Amino acid sequence: MTGPASLRGWGVVAQHEFLVNLRSVRLLIMLAVLALVVVGGAYGLTAGPGAGGFSLSPLVAWGHPSIAPTGEHLAVVWVSDPFGAPLADRSVTFLVGAQGQEEILGEVRTDADGFARLAVGNRTEVVVIARSGVAEYGLGIFFFDPPGNFTTAYRQDDLDNDGLFDDLGIHVVTRDGAPATAQIYLNESMVTSANSRGYGRVELPQGQSNVTVEVAGERETIPQYVGPPFQPPFATGPDFVLLIIAGGFAAFAVPIFAIVISFDALSKERVQGTLDLLLSRPVGRAGALLGKFGGSFAAVAVPVTLVNVAGLAILTATSGKAPTASFAVAFLGLELLLIAFYVPLQLIFSTLAKTSGTAILFGFLVFLAFNVLYSVIASVLSLVLFPNNFEAQFRFLQVAGLGNPTSIYQQLVAFAAPATIGSGFGPFGGTTLDLPIVALAALVWLAGLLGLALWTFHRRAAE
Amino acid sequence: MKVYRGSRGTRALDGVSFTVPKGDIFGFLGPNGAGKTTTIRILATVLEPTAGTVRIAGHDLRAEPMAVKERIGLMPDEVEFYPALTAMDHLSYYASFYGIPRRDAKRRARELLDRLGIGDVATKKVKTYSHGMRKRLALAQCLLHDPEILIMDEPASGLDPQGMRYFRELIRSLNGQGKTILLSSHLLYEVEQLCEHVGIIDRGRMVAVDSISNLSARLSAGAPTIINVTAEGVTDAALAALGAIPGVSKAELTPKGVAVTVAPGSDVSGEVSKALVLAGAQLRELKAEQRSLEDLFLALTRGGSP
Repeated sequence: MTGPASLRGWGVVAQHEFLVNLRSVRLLIMLAVLALVVVGGAYGLTAGPGAGGFSLSPLVAWGHPSIAPTGEHLAVVWVSDPFGAPLADRSVTFLVGAQGQEEILGEVRTDADGFARLAVGNRTEVVVIARSGVAEYGLGIFFFDPPGNFTTAYRQDDLDNDGLFDDLGIHVVTRDGAPATAQIYLNESMVTSANSRGYGRVELPQGQSNVTVEVAGERETIPQYVGPPFQPPFATGPDFVLLIIAGGFAAFAVPIFAIVISFDALSKERVQGTLDLLLSRPVGRAGALLGKFGGSFAAVAVPVTLVNVAGLAILTATSGKAPTASFAVAFLGLELLLIAFYVPLQLIFSTLAKTSGTAILFGFLVFLAFNVLYSVIASVLSLVLFPNNFEAQFRFLQVAGLGNPTSIYQQLVAFAAPATIGSGFGPFGGTTLDLPIVALAALVWLAGLLGLALWTFHRRAAE
Repeated sequence: MKVYRGSRGTRALDGVSFTVPKGDIFGFLGPNGAGKTTTIRILATVLEPTAGTVRIAGHDLRAEPMAVKERIGLMPDEVEFYPALTAMDHLSYYASFYGIPRRDAKRRARELLDRLGIGDVATKKVKTYSHGMRKRLALAQCLLHDPEILIMDEPASGLDPQGMRYFRELIRSLNGQGKTILLSSHLLYEVEQLCEHVGIIDRGRMVAVDSISNLSARLSAGAPTIINVTAEGVTDAALAALGAIPGVSKAELTPKGVAVTVAPGSDVSGEVSKALVLAGAQLRELKAEQRSLEDLFLALTRGGSP
């Protein structure tokens, strides 16, 4: 049977396959996973705490040189989280001596208010290490003579994730190490008071400013400076975030989506006995296989495209700027190409495997080979094929990316991205091949996989 | 012929040739592994024969597969269907292949399901169906496009006696409507009740194709006849008298009376009755043993289970 007759019935099969998949729980699960990856990635890489800024220290220790009632030096440490909440029952170690020859003076656990105090005799330098879980925070406490009536410790952070280090935390204790009642002024205007634990926070303006702390009428002024906005790695714009999502996250998640939806498209029919019913209908072998392909492809493509469009919208909203239109459109199209690679690949396994379990096992092994192990396999192959010939190995790896559909997809993503960010992206440190060659390789892979799926189905479908 | 691909190139069918008369119910029998299902799958266009010719309703299966597909209805042995779909979903899907307009397909599906006794569960998911309900759905999808030829593989297997009788009468009714039916079954009693002609396949070869009566006569020719006599008071003297009748080769006691083995072509019923009565036995019944389809099957095949 050749020609149009062999394609007969493909639309009916495709529609059925699509609808059956739409009703499946696994599609909902994969949709949620993909949404987390793409939409979450679009938001997280642009605006979330992981957007590339310096991460906050999980704990902060504020050190003060105070004087004990006995007259000896008293090292006072207040331990809090970066937002000024006290951390009780944390370990604080007090040491003296040069690095490598430290002597532990003592280990004190913080009280309910987060304070740890240790009398250190007449020592003038004490090193302190506070620990909370696996986090550590170290600082030095230096005693001066004569001691002041109060001491301050301060730290600048970006506590509101606005890209500016303009959040100044201040901790004030009295000469004897108790939390001080303090007023805090910014450029001579009072802005806040220290709380019962001696902590206060001020948001500084950009540029130079003076922060003054007043305790019982005595004042201390601390000059502060806030620099220009911090530039996170992804601040080059939404295109770069899109490149990471398209070339990284989606390149990993979309093949899994395609495999999970299509792994049993044919093996399940065989197991439940409906394959014979299908093939006895007026439908050609090619029509049946192309219908399975079309239905599975659509069942993956529709949710993936919806999630991608949502991801682009989130990306635009959070970064305040839309990615380059041609790149965004290419992203949507190339995702479909990636699905079109993996669906027929899985249909081949689904035809050959006796059970659906075997089919999905084959699918994931190939996924691992193409997505995780390929660079290792190619590198080993280059060493085996061209031993002691680094130049030949290098040239081999330049074209090795064409031997893997995911790599081809990533190279096409790099071509679609604006030149300033696309260069160097892709397998083996970026491709040096021309776009027509990579595009041709994509077509060859697509036609080859579909052709192989058709041939396999024709020979082995019902046996 | 059908050769399965593989390292050993198993030859599943070789030398299978038979004709099913139009309007017949044709019993297709064979032991397990004989090639029944392979033959059925070829006839249903599921498998392609490696060699040979198949013509169905005048159409060559290789040259005009679509014409064949439109004229046949397949009822496979075991089919679980799509568990999350309803019977109506299934029939709508299958109707789409035949270009039946949606409204007509729906009406026909409803009629069929009602007629087959599963109309009340037509909109329930198939995963909730019993074995018997799935059998009825399998028949419904087979009849959906009103095919002229029905290929039925074990239509009554796994059914209770009521279900078996229901299917037997339905098959007769379908045949009465002019449908040609190829019926494969392990239930030889069912086949004997329904079919005039049978084909018996063994080890991939057809070993017999004929009417049941012809096959029975052919196999009986040249074979001794056994007359089973139900009688009381059969003495040794009676047995000796029976043995003395010309043509009788053996006479032996049975729990109900006596079994008399007679040479082929001899009709000695009268002499047997007379000898027994004269010897003082009380005769109740005298019956020449008929060869059942099971006997034919066992005689023609390697003796395995049907």
